[in-house]
Amino acid sequence: MKRKRRDDEGEEEEEEEEEEDDEYDNDEEEDYCRRKRRSSVRDFLDDIAAEADSGEDEDDEDDAEDGFIDDDVTELPKENKERMPRRPFLPTEDDQDDVEEMARRIEEKYGSLSRPEQYDEGYGEETTHVEQQALLPSVRDPKLWLVKCEIGHEREAAVCLMQKSIDRTELQISSAIALDNLKNYIYIEAQKEAHVMEACKGLRYLNPKKIMIVPLKEMAGVLSVKSKPVDISKDTWIRMKIGTYKGDLAKVTDVDDMQQRVTVKLVPRIDLQELADKLAGVEFVKKAFVPPPRLINIIEVREKNIHVERKRDPFTGEYFEKIAGMMFKDGFLYKSVSMKSISYHNIQPSFDELERFLRPGENGDGNFSNSLLSGDTKTEHFSKGDKVLVVSGDLKNMRGIVEKVEDEYACIRPDIKDLPETLTFNVTDLSKFFETGDHVKVVSGTQEGATGMVTKVEGRVLVIVSDASMEEIRVFAHCVMKSSEVTSTNNGNKDYQLHDLVLLNDSSFGIIIRVDGKAYHVLKGTPERAEIEVLMYRDINSKIEKMGTTEDRFRNRISVKDIARIVEGPFKDQLNTFISIHDRKNIDHGGFFCVKAKSCTLLGGLYARGDIRGGVMDSRVSSLRSLACIPRSPGRPQIRRDERRYQSGRRGHDSIVGTMVKICKGHYKGSRGRVVDIKGQSVRIELESQMRIVTVGRSEISDKVNVTTPGCDAPLYGLGSETPMRVHDSMREPGTPLHDGMRTPMRNWAWHPYASMSPARDSFSPASQLERAASPASGWASRNCSAPGTPRESRTHANSANIMRSPPLLVGTP
Amino acid sequence: MFFHIVLERNMQLHPRHFGRNLRENLVSKLMKDVEGTCSGRHGFVVAITGIENVGKGLIRDGTGFVTFPVKYQCVVFRPFKGEVLEAVVTMVNKMGFFAEAGPVQIFVSNHLIPDDMEFQSGDMPNYTTSDGSIQKDSEVRLKIIGTRVDATEIFCIGTIKDDFLGVINDPTTA
Repeated sequence: MKRKRRDDEGEEEEEEEEEEDDEYDNDEEEDYCRRKRRSSVRDFLDDIAAEADSGEDEDDEDDAEDGFIDDDVTELPKENKERMPRRPFLPTEDDQDDVEEMARRIEEKYGSLSRPEQYDEGYGEETTHVEQQALLPSVRDPKLWLVKCEIGHEREAAVCLMQKSIDRTELQISSAIALDNLKNYIYIEAQKEAHVMEACKGLRYLNPKKIMIVPLKEMAGVLSVKSKPVDISKDTWIRMKIGTYKGDLAKVTDVDDMQQRVTVKLVPRIDLQELADKLAGVEFVKKAFVPPPRLINIIEVREKNIHVERKRDPFTGEYFEKIAGMMFKDGFLYKSVSMKSISYHNIQPSFDELERFLRPGENGDGNFSNSLLSGDTKTEHFSKGDKVLVVSGDLKNMRGIVEKVEDEYACIRPDIKDLPETLTFNVTDLSKFFETGDHVKVVSGTQEGATGMVTKVEGRVLVIVSDASMEEIRVFAHCVMKSSEVTSTNNGNKDYQLHDLVLLNDSSFGIIIRVDGKAYHVLKGTPERAEIEVLMYRDINSKIEKMGTTEDRFRNRISVKDIARIVEGPFKDQLNTFISIHDRKNIDHGGFFCVKAKSCTLLGGLYARGDIRGGVMDSRVSSLRSLACIPRSPGRPQIRRDERRYQSGRRGHDSIVGTMVKICKGHYKGSRGRVVDIKGQSVRIELESQMRIVTVGRSEISDKVNVTTPGCDAPLYGLGSETPMRVHDSMREPGTPLHDGMRTPMRNWAWHPYASMSPARDSFSPASQLERAASPASGWASRNCSAPGTPRESRTHANSANIMRSPPLLVGTP
Repeated sequence: MFFHIVLERNMQLHPRHFGRNLRENLVSKLMKDVEGTCSGRHGFVVAITGIENVGKGLIRDGTGFVTFPVKYQCVVFRPFKGEVLEAVVTMVNKMGFFAEAGPVQIFVSNHLIPDDMEFQSGDMPNYTTSDGSIQKDSEVRLKIIGTRVDATEIFCIGTIKDDFLGVINDPTTA
């Protein structure tokens, strides 16, 4: 027993594993086990005493109980003597001849390691509660003494004691413990207080007068404190907790474990003027606010006559600028702070902070990724279906898809076929992985809620083209997840969605063109000008649900989802007499702008009035566009382009403009031409026969164009790359030119075959020119204008013509 | 990519169209409704090439409308990821350029434009390099790297950063 106890002490002294103690201390075990254990574990014991007693032990094997007691008796006097030289790791004269013994026993010890049966027995239940209990210190063990120490130097004191005990063998203390969370004290383990005092003599930090004993029951408590591992290392991100820089992100450049201090790199918040005043001795009032973070410019500092000293840091060998006692380098402030004043868990550096930090002198994204990888993966959360990359361990750089996520572990299905179905990894070993072309949604950070497609992956930063606003946003990879959702709603706030028509608090209205976090960008309902207002949720009164109708220039009823001549787009809204129109091509304001209803013309209008109200309104509309206006010139090709553009709806035109008309009166009677421009009552027409633009009165032209020759249209049609745009644009409209007669149903669900057959309407219909442009429509138009009695036949012809005509159209498309 | 497929649709017809030309009316209405639209699954319906079958019409309760299931053949266009196609540039800005290949609009971000192409703003903003320039109305060959399919629209992201991609035809030189 004694020997076991002594061995325990030895273990404690050497601070070896307790496993070996367990074996010895289990009194309740059966004799058989004990015997076996004793013999097996004894091989592990690295102490001389055990070796010497091995013979006795073997004798006692048969008589376990007696053997114990015998040991006790026989071993007692040896205790003190044998305690001293028992430092096998430290070479002393006594140990010399034991070297071979040691070698032999080491061989035995490690040899027995390979014998599993001894092991199983011994190590199966090594840490049962009972064994632990038996390990608790008893009165015969060395006691723990609490010694007062100087603050900040506890570790130093413990190390000094250790060094001292190595140097002098007569030091009778067993160990010295310095706890991080306990300031001002250290523990020393010794049998007697006198030993402790002796050890503390000569050590400046320890006060030998203030020694207290730790009660037996509390001894175990001393060392069982669970503290979080201090894992601050160089280049980790931390946040300051106190002082002027409270809350600021900082980077650790140096760690001093001894003194529990770290040197951090910060973006300085220094008011140079204040500093200059202070140094000059001028009285200044300490400002209540904290100056904004800004990198220090040495030139500026010198200008203010503040003394700048260039110093060399002895530890790192780098040059610093010392200004007013503070150390600067590259514009950053380097400060030494205690570990208590910083927080290093769960630091989420935001994008701006990182940018500010890393911009000078470092290439941004590369270092972004590194710095992020170092500390930030804890906050990543994975969901099923995420593509991930293994970043550490044996399977590094393997890709896979997340199947299941538990608290700390994620099950991955690897991309490589040969591996088993699912592998489990710690979440810290994984990182999310995206490829260009993925559609993702941002789930955290400032851009939360945005969706878009990844266009570029730069380390941990993704560049995403947002769906809603078509602009680039940069986010960290761990903030996004793959999703096919296209955002149109505000996060959390489902009332107002993108493209909603809303009534604002000041009784104006507008359309939400962009949702940016909590702010709504609203295009206000002022025609001609694009007025965007950024509002908060509360500024918006209500959503305008009812979509009324209004009249366009020609008193055509326009309602929602109609296509107006101004723009080609899937839908438009309208309110009062204003219309907000969506242009797919114009992405300036999310594609919306507002025009007066009167300025629009319904595409494929039922009829066009003879009197055109207002002047050219495209000037107003055009001003809203960001596209370059190609001036209309007499040149044919440009006209064509003009027309093409017009047909794709990006120009605002009058209903007549671009149509083929026939001049009935005047000098140019009989000629045909295309309307280029309309000014009040006069119309400029580009004559087909001559390359000229002439001006005629509005009354002199007739919109009724009966016959169009294919020759005229072919060139328009045959323009290489433009055709597809045109054709497809027209295809895109709900009413295609092929079905000119059925244009009206675009607005009404009902279909008015007879109504459309009326020649008057038909001739004014803007679609007629579209249809003409798209395909030779010679027979068609004429048939259309025939008597209503034959609508069916003509329609039939039209239909068959359609079908026949379709292939030629397609041929033109690339 | 273009496909020629058979689709089906239930067409509702108002009784006024009944009569001798019922079928023609139906077909016309179908064409008007479908051509030019886009579905997420099939893509853009470019044109209807023929009617395969018109089923029996069912009169709806309450209204006089009749529903006909119509099977028709049509040509559809659907862009796919990884597809290479030619497109016409419609807009150029500093974030990239928009191009159109038929009914589908493709955005090429400036990250996916080769680095030697610089953006030049101005009257005609363009991306230019010694070989040629990309501006409005120039033709480019690009590769689609991602598609986003809404219910009624398909939008794509493309790249010209690979081999054999880039401008085909310069409008200024052509």
